[in-house]
Amino acid sequence: MPPKTKHRKDTSSHQYDLRDVVIQAGDCVLVQLPSGDITGVKVDSNSTATIKKFGSFHTNELIGQKYGNAYEIQGKRLKVLPPRTLQEVEDTEATNEYINDGEFVQPLTITEIQALKEAGVHATDIIKKQIELHSSYSLKTEYSKEKYKKRKEVKYFRTFITIPPTLNNVCEYWFLKDQARIRDIRVDTLSQLLNLANVKPGGRYIVVDDASGLVVSAMLERMGGEGRIITIHDSESPPPYPVMTNMNFSPETISILSSLNWATADEEYTPILPPTEVETTDAKSERQKSRLNKRKAMTNHLFSTRKELFDGEFDGLILATQYDPYSIIEKYAQYLGGSANLVVHSPYPQILADLQTKLRNYPEWLSPSLTESWLRRYQVLPGRTHPLMNMSGSGGYLLHVIRVYDDPEASYTKLYRHRNKKTKADAGDSSTPVIEGSSTLSTPVVSLDEGSYHNEMQMTEDVKLSTTM
Amino acid sequence: MWSSTREIAAGDLVIVWMTRDNIQPLVVTPGKDFNSKYGNYRQADFVGVPYGSKVGSPSGKGFVYLLRPTPELWTLALPHRTQIVYIADIAFITSRLNIRPGSRVIEAGTGSGSFTHSVARTIGESGHLWSYEFHEARANKAREEFTRHGMTNIVTLTHRNVCKEGFTVENTVDSVFLDLPAPWDAVEHAKKALRKDRITRICCFSPCMEQVLRTVAALNEAGFTEVSMYETLLRPHEVTQVPQPQLIGEVSSGLKEAEKRREEKRLRQIANNKARLAGTEPASSTKRKRGDERDARLADEISRRDLNPSDGSPGSKRVRTEEDEGMEAEADITTVSVQVDMIKADENEGKLVADESRMEITTSPSSPTPTSRISVSNALPEVRGHTSYLTFAILVPFSAPSGTGEEAASTIASELAPTPGASTTAAPSEAQDKSSVVAS
Ligand SMILES: C[S@@+](CC[C@H](N)C(=O)[O-])C[C@H]1O[C@@H](n2cnc3c(N)ncnc32)[C@H](O)[C@@H]1O
Repeated sequence: MPPKTKHRKDTSSHQYDLRDVVIQAGDCVLVQLPSGDITGVKVDSNSTATIKKFGSFHTNELIGQKYGNAYEIQGKRLKVLPPRTLQEVEDTEATNEYINDGEFVQPLTITEIQALKEAGVHATDIIKKQIELHSSYSLKTEYSKEKYKKRKEVKYFRTFITIPPTLNNVCEYWFLKDQARIRDIRVDTLSQLLNLANVKPGGRYIVVDDASGLVVSAMLERMGGEGRIITIHDSESPPPYPVMTNMNFSPETISILSSLNWATADEEYTPILPPTEVETTDAKSERQKSRLNKRKAMTNHLFSTRKELFDGEFDGLILATQYDPYSIIEKYAQYLGGSANLVVHSPYPQILADLQTKLRNYPEWLSPSLTESWLRRYQVLPGRTHPLMNMSGSGGYLLHVIRVYDDPEASYTKLYRHRNKKTKADAGDSSTPVIEGSSTLSTPVVSLDEGSYHNEMQMTEDVKLSTTM
Repeated sequence: MWSSTREIAAGDLVIVWMTRDNIQPLVVTPGKDFNSKYGNYRQADFVGVPYGSKVGSPSGKGFVYLLRPTPELWTLALPHRTQIVYIADIAFITSRLNIRPGSRVIEAGTGSGSFTHSVARTIGESGHLWSYEFHEARANKAREEFTRHGMTNIVTLTHRNVCKEGFTVENTVDSVFLDLPAPWDAVEHAKKALRKDRITRICCFSPCMEQVLRTVAALNEAGFTEVSMYETLLRPHEVTQVPQPQLIGEVSSGLKEAEKRREEKRLRQIANNKARLAGTEPASSTKRKRGDERDARLADEISRRDLNPSDGSPGSKRVRTEEDEGMEAEADITTVSVQVDMIKADENEGKLVADESRMEITTSPSSPTPTSRISVSNALPEVRGHTSYLTFAILVPFSAPSGTGEEAASTIASELAPTPGASTTAAPSEAQDKSSVVAS
C-alpha cells in the first residue's frame, strides 16, 4: 500500500474532537487560580483532586463539565460562578492626594480574619468587612479600589477556572512553567513554525522534538488524525513527550505518530531485535505466545516505519533539537519530496546562522530565511491602555527553507554574462555585507533594493553559490 | 485544495519562483507560454516535471523554480486587491482562535484572501469557513480564485455588508475573525453566529488604538470575556560571514614594535647628528623623512584595521610594510598568526575559557592559516514596525444575563446563582444540567 494514503481516513465521517470542550474522566485539566497561576489537575473518576494550599474536591464534579467555568470550592463540592466581564471602572474625582504612603493599616488583624474564617464567614463578607473598616477606602480612586478588592480576592477566594487544553493554552502554560524544557518555543513562534512547515491534515512529516513533545503535540493537533508523523529520538524506548499529557489527545489523533531512534532510523544499519520465533518443539505457554506475538507486532511496526521513512517523499522536516541540525539534515533531507519545507527552531541565532551558511553551499536549498518573532501584550482597560511592563525576551529563532531539485545545466550565467564584470567588482568589495536569503516567506514587507538584489542573482558561479542558494 | 501529486499536471496552480521578490502564481496551461526576464518557457514543458524543480529556459538563458503552492507562498504571490494579513499575524491568530482541523470559522472581509487560504488549509475538509466581502468586484474575484483553487468544499463566500446585515449562520461557528474598519459594528452579529455549546473565540484586527478601544467596549457590552490585546511582529535576520574580529594582542605588539623602531631611529638620528657635527658623515634628510612616513602609515593602518574588522582576511591581519628597512625587527610581527577558535566555551564549566595552547606563533609562511570567518546574524535594518493590534476575547457558554454586568464583574458575584436557563444556550446539555445541580 502506498504510504501516502495509508493513514488517511474518510473525512466525511470525521468527528470534531471534543477534547477541548468537555472534561472527560482521565483528563489532565489545567486550572487557573485567582493569583493567575495555572496548575494541572488529574481528573480520574471517583477520586479527590487536591490543589496545593487551596483545597480538595471530588473529581466527579468536574467530569462532563464544559471548560471555561469558574468554580468556588465549598467543602468538597464545587459551586459554579458566572464568567466575569471586564468592568467599566469610571474614574471618580478621587485621587490619591489624601492618602499618605505607609498609612495603610490592615483593618482586621490576622487573628481576627482567622477567627472569621473558622466561624464559616464567606470570603466575600470578610472583604466587605475589611472595606467597611478601611478608613481611607472611600478616598481611593475607583481604580485603586478595584485593585484593592482584587488583592483581597486573590488572598481569600478559593476559586478557579478550568482552562481548555488548546494548543495556545498548553504552550503558554509550559512556557511559563518551564521555558527551558520546551526550548524557549513561545506560542507565536510555534504558530509560525506550523505555518512555515505547512502542517495540515494528510501531510507527512519527519520531526525531531527535543522540546518535551511541544512540537509533536502542535503538529498532531493540526493534523486531526490524518497524515503521518515519524519522530526520531535519542533513547532506546519511545520518548514520553510530556507536553502531550496536557493535550488529552484521543487515540485516533495519536495513531498517526510513530517513532524511530538515531540507530533504527539509520538506513545503513540493521536493527538487532530479539527473535520472534522460539526454536522449540514443546507446546508454547499462552504467556509465551502472547509475548512472542507482541514482539512480532513491534518488529513489524519497526520495519514498516523504517520502510516508510526510507521510501521518502515527505512534505517536511521539522527540527527543534539539541543536536547539530546540519548532521540531521545531511542524513534525512534525502527523504523529502520536491518543494518540501525544512523548518528548524533554535533558542540560539548562532546555530541557525551557521546552518544557513552551510545550506547556502547546496543548490537544493532555496533561499533560506532566518527570523525571530516579537510579541507584546497590552492591558486594555478603559482609560488605561498600555503595553504590559513585562514581556518575554524571545521565543527563539526559526530557519525556513524549501527543498528543490537542482538542475546544474540551468543558470543565469548565459543571460547575464555581459553584466558579470560589473557584478564581480561589486561582490569583490567585501566591506559591503551581502544581503542574502533572509527574507523569504516571512518578510514580504522588507524593502530590499531591487537593483542590488538582482545583481546578486546575476553573479558568477562561485559568488552565487555562497549567496543565493 | 491544490495538487498533492508528485508531478505537475496541466491545469495545476504552481508558484513560479524567480527571485525572492518575484514570485508568481501560474495555472499551467499547455499551448501557452510563460515569459519573464528569467527566460521564455513553453508551459507544456512544465507538465510532468516534479514539483520543486529548477527549470532552465529552452534557450538556456535563465531559469525558474516551480514550487508546490502553500498558503504561505500564496500570500507572497497573490494579486493584491486590498491590504493583506501576513504570516506572523495569521499564525498567531490561528493559534489563539484555536483554529484546527474541523473548525468552523467566520472571516470578514475576505479582501485578497490571504487569511482565507491559510485557514482553509488548517481546518481541512472536515471544517468550514464562511467568508464575507461587501465589495462586489472583490467578492467575485475571490470567488473565482477559491473555485480555481478547489476550495469550494471548505469555503463559502458571501457578498454582503456584515456590519449592516450580519452573518448567514447562527449558533454555528467556533471562531470569528474581523478584519474590517469598524469591527465593533459586527460584534453583536458575531455573537449570534458563534455556537453556544462551548467556549468560542473572536479576534478583531485593527491598525489604530482608537479602533481597539471601541472594539473592547463593544466586546464587553456583548458579554465577551478575557479580553486581551497583542501585537506581534516578525524580525527577519540577515546572515553574513565576517572575519573573526582581530585580537588586540597583535595590534598591541605592532604598536610596541613601532615604538621600538621610533626610539631606535631617534637614537640613530642623534648618532647621525653627532657624527655630522663631528663632520664624519653627511646626514641623509630624505631617508629620515621616509622613515617617519613609514611609521605614521603603520600606525594608521593598525588603527584602521581595528576600526574596520571586516576589512581583512586572516592574511591581512599581518602587519604589512613595503619598507625593507628594519625588516629584522618586523619579522616577528608578520608571522604572528592567531587561531580564531582559541576561545571556546567550556561546556562542563559553563564559562568561557581561553585555550592558550591554541595560540601559536608560526614562522613558516606556508603553514595554512585557518579561514577565520564566522557566521553572524543581525536584524534587517528596515522592517515593518507595526501591522495591526490583535484584540481577542472569548465567549463562555453561559454568560451572565445582560443587565447584571456590573454585579457579575464584581467580586461579590458569587452571591448570584448562575442561571443556565437564562443563557443563550441552544439546548441545555448534560454538563449544564449538572452544573445547576452543583450550584444549587
Ligand atoms: C483589509 S481587507 C481584508 C484582508 C484579508 N484579511 C486578507 O488577508 O486578504 C478588508 C476587507 O473588508 C471589506 N469590508 C469592509 N467593511 C466590510 C463590511 N462591513 N462587510 C463586509 N466586508 C467589509 C473591504 O471591502 C476589504 O476588502
